[in-house]
Amino acid sequence: MSNTPTTRLRDMLDIAQDEMIMRDRIADILEQGPRTIPEISQALGYPTREVTVWLFGMRRYSMVEEIGRADMDGYFQYELKKQSDPA
Amino acid sequence: MTLNTEKRPPLDYDVMIVGAGVAGMEAAASMGDMGYRVLLVEKNASIGGRAILLSKVFPTLDCASCVVTPKMASVSHHPNVQLMTYSEIDGISRKADGSFDVALHRKAAYVDFDACTGCGKCAEICTVTVPDQYNYDLVTRRIAHIPFPQAVPKKSVITRRGEAPCTFTCPGNVKASGYVSLVRAGRYKEAFNLHLENAPLVGSLSRACYAPCESDCTRGEKEGTLHIRGIKRFMADRYYAEHPEPEYGPVENRLDTRVAIVGSGPAGLSAAFYLARQGHQVTIFEAEKEPGGMLRTAIPAYRLPEDVVDRDIKNVTALGVDIKTGYRITSLPELKQQGFNATLIATGASDENGLDIDGHDLEGVMGCMHFLHEVNIGKLPDVKNKIVMVIGGGNSAMDPARAAIRMGAGKVMINYRRGRKEMPAHDWEIEGAADEGVELMLMSAPIRFIGLNGKLVAVECISMELGEPDESGRRRPIPVKGSERVISVDMAILAIGLLPSTAHFPADMKNGKGLLLSDPQTLQTSDPDVFACGDCVTAPTMIINAIAQGRRAAFYMDRHLKGESLNVPFDGVIEKTDKSIVLEEARHFVERQPVQQPMLSIDERRKTFECYEQPMTEAEARQEAQRCMNCGECSQCMECVSVCAPQCIDFAQKPIPLSLNVGTVVMSTGFGILNPATKPLLGYDKFADVISGPQMDRLLAPTRPYNAVLRPSDGKEPESIAFVLCVGSRDHTVCNPLCCRIGCMYSMKQAQLAMGALPMADITIYTIDVRAFGKGYNEFYEQSKSMGIEFVKGKVARIEQLGNGNLALHYEDMLGKGGRNIREHDLVVLTVGFLPNTNALALYKGSELAADDFGYVREIDPISEPTRTNVDGLFVAGTAIGVMDIPDTVLHSGAAAAQAAAYLERMRGR
Repeated sequence: MSNTPTTRLRDMLDIAQDEMIMRDRIADILEQGPRTIPEISQALGYPTREVTVWLFGMRRYSMVEEIGRADMDGYFQYELKKQSDPA
Repeated sequence: MTLNTEKRPPLDYDVMIVGAGVAGMEAAASMGDMGYRVLLVEKNASIGGRAILLSKVFPTLDCASCVVTPKMASVSHHPNVQLMTYSEIDGISRKADGSFDVALHRKAAYVDFDACTGCGKCAEICTVTVPDQYNYDLVTRRIAHIPFPQAVPKKSVITRRGEAPCTFTCPGNVKASGYVSLVRAGRYKEAFNLHLENAPLVGSLSRACYAPCESDCTRGEKEGTLHIRGIKRFMADRYYAEHPEPEYGPVENRLDTRVAIVGSGPAGLSAAFYLARQGHQVTIFEAEKEPGGMLRTAIPAYRLPEDVVDRDIKNVTALGVDIKTGYRITSLPELKQQGFNATLIATGASDENGLDIDGHDLEGVMGCMHFLHEVNIGKLPDVKNKIVMVIGGGNSAMDPARAAIRMGAGKVMINYRRGRKEMPAHDWEIEGAADEGVELMLMSAPIRFIGLNGKLVAVECISMELGEPDESGRRRPIPVKGSERVISVDMAILAIGLLPSTAHFPADMKNGKGLLLSDPQTLQTSDPDVFACGDCVTAPTMIINAIAQGRRAAFYMDRHLKGESLNVPFDGVIEKTDKSIVLEEARHFVERQPVQQPMLSIDERRKTFECYEQPMTEAEARQEAQRCMNCGECSQCMECVSVCAPQCIDFAQKPIPLSLNVGTVVMSTGFGILNPATKPLLGYDKFADVISGPQMDRLLAPTRPYNAVLRPSDGKEPESIAFVLCVGSRDHTVCNPLCCRIGCMYSMKQAQLAMGALPMADITIYTIDVRAFGKGYNEFYEQSKSMGIEFVKGKVARIEQLGNGNLALHYEDMLGKGGRNIREHDLVVLTVGFLPNTNALALYKGSELAADDFGYVREIDPISEPTRTNVDGLFVAGTAIGVMDIPDTVLHSGAAAAQAAAYLERMRGR
């Protein structure tokens, strides 16, 4: 029944240090349209937990935003936030 | 106790309160209202403690921000309360008169709080990301950051652990950590411009620097050093490809002052760049036909192509610097007569040591500088199929040897009088030469050049053995008698040391070795208007040393020309980061192997002067930059400086030590939170969806890290949430026998809030027993049950992950059917226990501040004199004596304020 990993979760600081690269890759994926975290994870080839960290780092600094409500499976879609025109 | 109150000096503050959580703020406000002068010290950048991070408070479900922020505002605006945030106590000691001496320091925030508007632009652009401790590591923050949205004061702080070892080690203080961070973030132009701030010859350094930064990279103690120079190469190549010409011109505010620079090598060019940026009119005089000095004449094109040097020099000339080539300066007074206000001598060290043995003047015997000069200007000496012997073991021997290979020499050997490990050349240089076919003839020295018809045909050599160390520390080579032998050689290249090119300058400006004498700090010579820098002062060294000297000279010349004092420090460098701290922090990091630098094959290298190091691709450069461990925390990328409108970033800030005398002290230092990983069977550090109670509070707070209450593992709204109570409290296995007093209540609060946020979710609380003892608490418990929250009386023993990613809780069912049971949930909250903040005890010096049996500050008589400690005049408030809820904390703090006030009045003899 159980499927217990014996290893630790990847260190949060280690994940955090990847954000500056991963945000660009996530932005490239979101350029093609809104995605859920599992969809981004699949496209990126990185675990959903790590994508969650990077995506919400992007959201914190206004690069992405969620769309509406969660879908039937409980996932939100995220899209690139339209940057205000400096003019 | 009787206090000695005679001749007491005036107090700086009546009371100092340590810790600005709920207790500290309450005590501060109370005492301020009584008219006492209060100093409220907080080690974090904001007041508010842990309470401001909560979602809501129980049992009223009032918004925590609504409860706490008025208190924060009250103390921050109170006329009698002085806030000192981001400050730490170093020691408190009691004086005979009953007052207290306090040593503390205000930490360097690298932000001028008076100027900071709290706009947060610095955080947005910051290139270093770390876990956000204010969200209990659920999300990231930047190194430049405002702690949280309701922070008081709402000011940015930048955390620095020290100078990154790479930056600290660079003689030019080039911010390697900064441009690596910028490349990682994809900001290549900014990375290039950052480099210009410390060294203008970016391309040359990217090809030919010996990169001392790499030798001190912390990653080198794991999988291998970052290839920092390779990252720089990518950065410089890309910038130059996109910008064939500099993006700037001469500065607008040009000054009347004229500066002459003698020599256009790296030192002279560097000085010219920084002087011109200050507005001075700079002319460089160069004896050669082309500028660049050793960069152009001594470094082979396979390492540093001429077009890279040309483009680097444009960085200098774009500022209006005039370079007069073919112009040898032989008289310094002549420059003064021409109207130059100051002169910099930067003539380098390209004269060569000779070898005074028979045949040294034969055709075919030449110095390495001469050989490389000829090669670099296209007058390729004919070495095709010939036997070439390079004499010497330093880096300057490697270049002609490797150049001769590329020119088709039949055989190239390096003749060195000591052994391989004594060779001064870099290992990678020697290995590169050997890979290309250069033979090493070690423990051997020439004793005679043999000629025929005036041309070299052979070299007589003798074997050496190593004796005692000489003055350089290396073992002295001693000839072995009878080991002489003659070796056929067509060309001998001497690479046995370079001399300063200072022949034209007066003897009183030089030392016995011909090096120019200048002040080591300011580089000013005995003539105040003449400065000297670079290899002609230091003897031959690395390019970056010369560039660093040039920038230093420019700094002090600029001050001299403006009539300013030279008695000021040059670069503000802070202490190097302790690598052991970084390595400890990174002990669980995933392995990151170095990106392999693309190289030409050895066969190709032997045939061409094309650069054998090929540039990294963009992806490779960013991947390599990603290996940076952010040793110093702040990378010094300086992006925050570029966006800060009020210009409040100040990296010159240092910690400010303070000594104060206060009448009384209130310790409100709060509590610690147990790390749930100390209960390994519950899987906190194995499963992302096993979180702690404080993390759940953040998920439920209006300022939550996510857009909703979501699972950290994949951003899904949970359907079944479990709260596991008493994790690490009432638990001898983690040495914490105390009931945490608030776990039951805050879990019920979270459960109710979760039901509101996720109406369809099942909520279960696993409890041994429910302790709802305060006013309205039992009603809150009943309300929770009536809302549909399930309470399971059972002890959870183990949590495992199922194949679908959900979590299986193994628990003992104490009611129901009894026995062991398993239930599935998709988010588990561990209601963790709390711990004493034992750091508080260490703040008091001289004697011991007594703790209770559990490590909390001990009240000597909690019944009749609450808040009094064993130190007369030092009181304790709030959770520093044990965890309690917010109402009790407020009450206790009021008691502390009353006790402290009474003590002050007693001390004053009233």
